[in-house]
Amino acid sequence: MAQQQGMDSALFERRLRPVYDNLEVGNNRKALQESEKLLRKHPTLLCARALKGLSLLRLGRYDESHGCLQTVAEEKPTDDSTLQVLSFCYREMEQLDKIVELYQHAVKQNPGNEELLAHLFISHVRVEDYKAQQAVALQLYKAQPKNAYYFWSVISVVFQGIRGPESALPEKRKIYLGLAQRMVDKHIKEGKLETEQEAFLYLHILKLQNKYQEAWEFLTGELCAKLYPGAPVSMKFELLKELGNWRELNELLQQLLDADRDRWDFYKEYIQSSFELLKLSPQTEENGEKDSLARCQEFLQGIIDSSERKKRGPYLARLELHQRMRADQLPAEKLIGDFDEMVIEYFRLFGDKSCCTHDIALFLPSISMKQRQALASKLLLESGVTSTSLPKNKEQLQKHLCALQISRMCGSHMELPVDHLLAFYTNLKLHYEHGRSTFGKKLLATEMGPSDAYALLAANVMYDLSRRENKSDHLFEALCLLQYVLRNSTSNFHVKLLSLKIYHLFGCQVGAQEMYEYLDIKQIQLDSMGYVHCQLLPLGGRFSGTRNVYDATLKFFTNSYKERLEYIALTYRFCTFSKMEEFMNFKERLTNSLQYVACSVEAQICDLVSCYGNIQQNLTAYAAMSIEPAEDRIAWHELSDNRDLEAVIRWDPLHEVNAAEERKESFDQEVEVLQVRSLMLRLFASFVDLYHGPSSKESPAGEEAATLELLRESWTGLFQRLRLMNYKPMAQKFLVNLLPTRLHLLLDLPYERFFDDLAQLVLDLQSGSGKLAEQCKRVGDNVITVMELCVQTINESNEWNGMDGLWKRRGQQQKVAASLEMLSLYAFLLSVLNDKLQVSSKAKTKKRPVDNKVDGPQPISEKERSQMLQELMRQLKHKLEACDAAIRTWKAPVLPRDLSSFMSDMSLKPEVEATLIGDVSATFKDSHELMVTELRNLLKDKIRMVAK
Amino acid sequence: MTTLRPFTCDDLFKFNNVNFDPLTETYGLSFYTQYLAKWPEYFQLAESPSGHIMGYIMGKVEGHLDNWHGHVTALTVSPDYRRLGLAALLMSFLEDISEKKRAYFVDLFVRKSNQVAINMYTNLGYIIYRTILEYYSGDQDEDAYDMRKALSRDVNKKSVIPYTQPITMRELRRQMRHDH
Repeated sequence: MAQQQGMDSALFERRLRPVYDNLEVGNNRKALQESEKLLRKHPTLLCARALKGLSLLRLGRYDESHGCLQTVAEEKPTDDSTLQVLSFCYREMEQLDKIVELYQHAVKQNPGNEELLAHLFISHVRVEDYKAQQAVALQLYKAQPKNAYYFWSVISVVFQGIRGPESALPEKRKIYLGLAQRMVDKHIKEGKLETEQEAFLYLHILKLQNKYQEAWEFLTGELCAKLYPGAPVSMKFELLKELGNWRELNELLQQLLDADRDRWDFYKEYIQSSFELLKLSPQTEENGEKDSLARCQEFLQGIIDSSERKKRGPYLARLELHQRMRADQLPAEKLIGDFDEMVIEYFRLFGDKSCCTHDIALFLPSISMKQRQALASKLLLESGVTSTSLPKNKEQLQKHLCALQISRMCGSHMELPVDHLLAFYTNLKLHYEHGRSTFGKKLLATEMGPSDAYALLAANVMYDLSRRENKSDHLFEALCLLQYVLRNSTSNFHVKLLSLKIYHLFGCQVGAQEMYEYLDIKQIQLDSMGYVHCQLLPLGGRFSGTRNVYDATLKFFTNSYKERLEYIALTYRFCTFSKMEEFMNFKERLTNSLQYVACSVEAQICDLVSCYGNIQQNLTAYAAMSIEPAEDRIAWHELSDNRDLEAVIRWDPLHEVNAAEERKESFDQEVEVLQVRSLMLRLFASFVDLYHGPSSKESPAGEEAATLELLRESWTGLFQRLRLMNYKPMAQKFLVNLLPTRLHLLLDLPYERFFDDLAQLVLDLQSGSGKLAEQCKRVGDNVITVMELCVQTINESNEWNGMDGLWKRRGQQQKVAASLEMLSLYAFLLSVLNDKLQVSSKAKTKKRPVDNKVDGPQPISEKERSQMLQELMRQLKHKLEACDAAIRTWKAPVLPRDLSSFMSDMSLKPEVEATLIGDVSATFKDSHELMVTELRNLLKDKIRMVAK
Repeated sequence: MTTLRPFTCDDLFKFNNVNFDPLTETYGLSFYTQYLAKWPEYFQLAESPSGHIMGYIMGKVEGHLDNWHGHVTALTVSPDYRRLGLAALLMSFLEDISEKKRAYFVDLFVRKSNQVAINMYTNLGYIIYRTILEYYSGDQDEDAYDMRKALSRDVNKKSVIPYTQPITMRELRRQMRHDH
C-alpha cells in the first residue's frame, strides 16, 4: 500500500486535489462524490478513503463516517496526508486519544522518523499526557539532536512536577523539578544553551524550586546577558524581593527611575523597598542619616524638581507614599505635606487629562467621607467653572469634568434633594451642549466629543432620580439625551453601552439590539461583553428574535473550542516556554466560560420552545440536539467568569460600590440560573425520551424512567436548595449595576411545580396508573395558573401604562415570556405523547386477550389514556387562545409625554428635536409590535400543534 | 504613569475599553495567539495605576540578512489615556527590543489619511519609506505609507533610503515571500 502510494504520490496528489478543494470551500457533497469517484479507480487508496470519511463527517452522516475512518485507521497508515486527514477528523470529533494511537502505530513502523515523532508528541500535548510527552521528546532528540526537542522533554518533566497527576505530592514535585534542572545544567555545561526561551525556562525551574540565589546569579551572569538580553527587569525585582535584598532593589530602582520617570511599576516597587528598609533600620536620623522614607521623599521631590516636562509619575508616587505612611500611622503630613494640597496640585497640573479622575480616585478610599467631600468641593472651585460661568477652553472643560466626576465618587450627589439634582442635570446638559458647540465642531468620526462625559454623568444622575421616585420619565429623558450625543459623536462607545443598558431596563429589545450592533462586538468580545446583551435576552420577551445573537456567540465559541488545543501546540512549535502555562489556563477559561455554557443551553431551550414543524420534523430536530438527559455535561466547578465588567465606565460613590462583591454575587446567581435551565432542559428531554428514546440502544427497559425519576428528584431538590439559599436580588443602586438575574423570576413563577407535575403525568401515562385522571387534573390546573399569570400580567401592564409604561416593563415581559415558555414546551410534549399513544393504541387494540388472572388494579386502557390526552390538548388549546387574546390587547408602552421642555435649553433646531424623540419613540413602538407579532406566531404554532 | 508588562492571554478578556475604539481592530483569537506564541516579547501592554489597560503594542521581528527588522503590527491607546506620550513609550519599547535582537530597522504601515499617526511617527524619527497602493481594503481601498526608522546596527542608514515609486500589493507580497 505504502509503496503503491510512494510510487506515484504526485499523481495521487493531483487526483486528490478536487476533494481537498471542495472540502475547503465547504462543498462537502461534491467532495464526497469526488472521493467516491477516485475510490472506484483506486479502491485501496487510503487517503481517498480518509477524505471520504471526512466528507461524511462534514455532512453529518456520523455512523458512515465513523465506519469509514475506522477501517482506514485499522490499516495503520503511515503516509502523512492520510494521517493528517484522520487526525483532523478525530480532532473534530474530540477523540484525541485516537490521534495518539494513530501516530503510535505509524512510529512503530517507522522508528526514528522525526516528522511522525513530532506529530506523536503534539498528540500527547493535546491530551496533556506529560509523561508520554517526555518519552517521545527524548526519542526525538535521539533521532535529531535539536535543542527544541531536548527542551520539549525538559518542559514535559517540569509539567509533571507542577501540573501532572503527581504534582500534588511535594516529594514528587521536588524530584521532577530537580530532574528538569539537572537536564538543563548538563546542557549548559556542554555549552548548548541557545535561545532566550531556554534561558527563561531555566530561570523558571530555579524559581519553582525557590532557588532564588542561583536564579539571581544566572540572571545577572554572562550567559543570560548574551542569550536573553530582553529579560524583563521585573525579574530582577522579583528575585531581589525573594532574597530580601531590599537595599540593592532600592538602588536599582532609583537608577531605573532616573532614566524612566513615569513608570508606575518601578515607583510601586521603589516605595515598597523603602518601607522594607525602614523595617530593617527603624531608628531615624541615626548617625545623622535620614531614614529610608525621608530619602524616598527626597528622591521623588528631586525628580519633580528636575523634570522639565511634568510627568504624572513622581506626583502619583508621592501621593502613594503619603497614603502608605498614613496606613502605617507614620507622620506623612510632616514629611511630605498636606494631602489635600498635594491632590489639588496634581489636579492643577494634570486635571486636563481625562485619566486624572482615575488617578485621584486611587487615593480617595484612604481618607474619610468628610474629607473626601471637602476635597471634592475644593477641586470644583479649583476648576474655575462656577454655576454661572462656562469653561473657557478644552482644558478647563476637562478639569471641570474631572472635578464633577470626583465629586460624584465622593458621594456628593447622593444627598442632594430632587430639585437640586434636576437643576444639576439641566446644568450638565447645558455644559454638554456648550462644549459640543464650542470645542467639538471639527470632530473626526472616530473621535469622542470633548463634552460627551457631561451627558454620561447626566444619565447616571437621571437614573438616581428615577430610582428615587420609582418612575421612568427622568431616565427616559436621559436616554433621549444619550441618543442625541450619539448622533454627534458616533464612535462614543460609553454612550452606546449606557443606552444599551437603559433599553434593556425598559424591556426594549429592538433598541438594545441596535446599540449592540452599533458596538460591533465580535470575536472574544462575544465572551467578555456578552453580559451586556446576550445574557439579558433569554426570557426578555422574544424567542426567535434572539436566536441570531446566540448563534453569533456560539459560532465564536465552537470555533475557538476546536482551535483551542492548536494554540497550545503552537507554543511548543515555537518553544515559547514562557507562554505555555498561560495558554493552557486560557484554554480552560475559554472552554468553561459561563457565557458559552449558558448561551448553548438557552439556544437549545429556545429551539424547543419555538419548534413549529410537524411531529416528525420536530422529533428529528430534537434528536439532532443530542441532549443526553442522564448525562450532566457541565463542569460546574470549573465555570469561568470572563465578563469585562470594567468596560462600562462609572463614577459612582466609592463607598457604595463593591465591584468584586457584585461580580461574585451575580456570577453565583447566574450559575444557579444555569442549574435551573440546564436541569429543566434535561428533565424535559427525559420526558420525550421516555416515549421516543433512542430505542436502537440496548439499554435495559426502564432505564429512561429511572433517569426521569432521578432528574425529577434533582429538580425539586434544586428548588428546595435555592429557596433555602435565600439569594437577594441584585441591588440596582446605580445605572451601571448589573440588572437582576433571572433567578428570582424562576423561583417566583410556577416552574418547579409545573415540570414536577408533568414528570408525574408522563410516568402515569406510561404505566396507565390509576391516579392518571387526578394527575391530568393537576397539570390542567397548572396550565390555568400559568395562563392566568400571562393574562393578568398583560392586564396589569396595560393598567400601568396609564401611569408609567416603562418602569416595570421588563419584569412584565419576562413573566409573559416565561409563561409562554412553559406552555410551549408543554404543547410540544403533548404532541409527542399523542403521537406515541395513537400509534400504540392502534397497534395494540387487536391483540388484547382478556386475561384477568392478575389481581390488583388494572392499568388504564390505552384508549382511555389517549382520551385523557386529547382532553389535555383540548384544554391547552383553549388556554393558548386565551393567552393570544390577551396579547392581542397588549398595548405598546406609553412614553413619558412631557418632553417638550427636554431640549429647550439646547441650541437644537426644533426639527432635530422632533426627529430625535420621534426615533426613540418609534424604537419602543417597533420593539413592542415585533414582540407581539413573534409571540402571537409562537402561539399560533402551538395551537396548531395541539389542535389535532 | 504606566506599568509596562507583557500582554497575556487573560488581557484578551479585559481590553474592551481599548478595543471599542473605532480605529482598533478586534482580530480572531488565532491572530493574537500566533503573536503571543511566536513573538511574546513583542506584545506589550501599558497598564494604569488603577489597573486599567491604557494601550498595547503588537509586533514581530523577521526578515533575512540586512532586512532583519522589527515590525509594528498594531499600536493602540485607549481614548482615556491619550496625550500622555504613551504611544511613544510603547514604540520605544519595541525599538529597544529590536535593538537587543540586533535588527537593522523598525517599520510599520499606516493609513495615508491618518495624519495624526503619521505626525506622531515622524516626531519619533520615522520617515515615509514608500507608498503601498491599496493596502487597506474596505468600502474604499486606501493606500498605506510604509514608515521606517533605522536602528544602530544599520550604521550607514541604508534601510531608510526612500523609494521614489509607490509599490503595489502584489510586489509587496512577492518581496515578503522572498524574505521568508
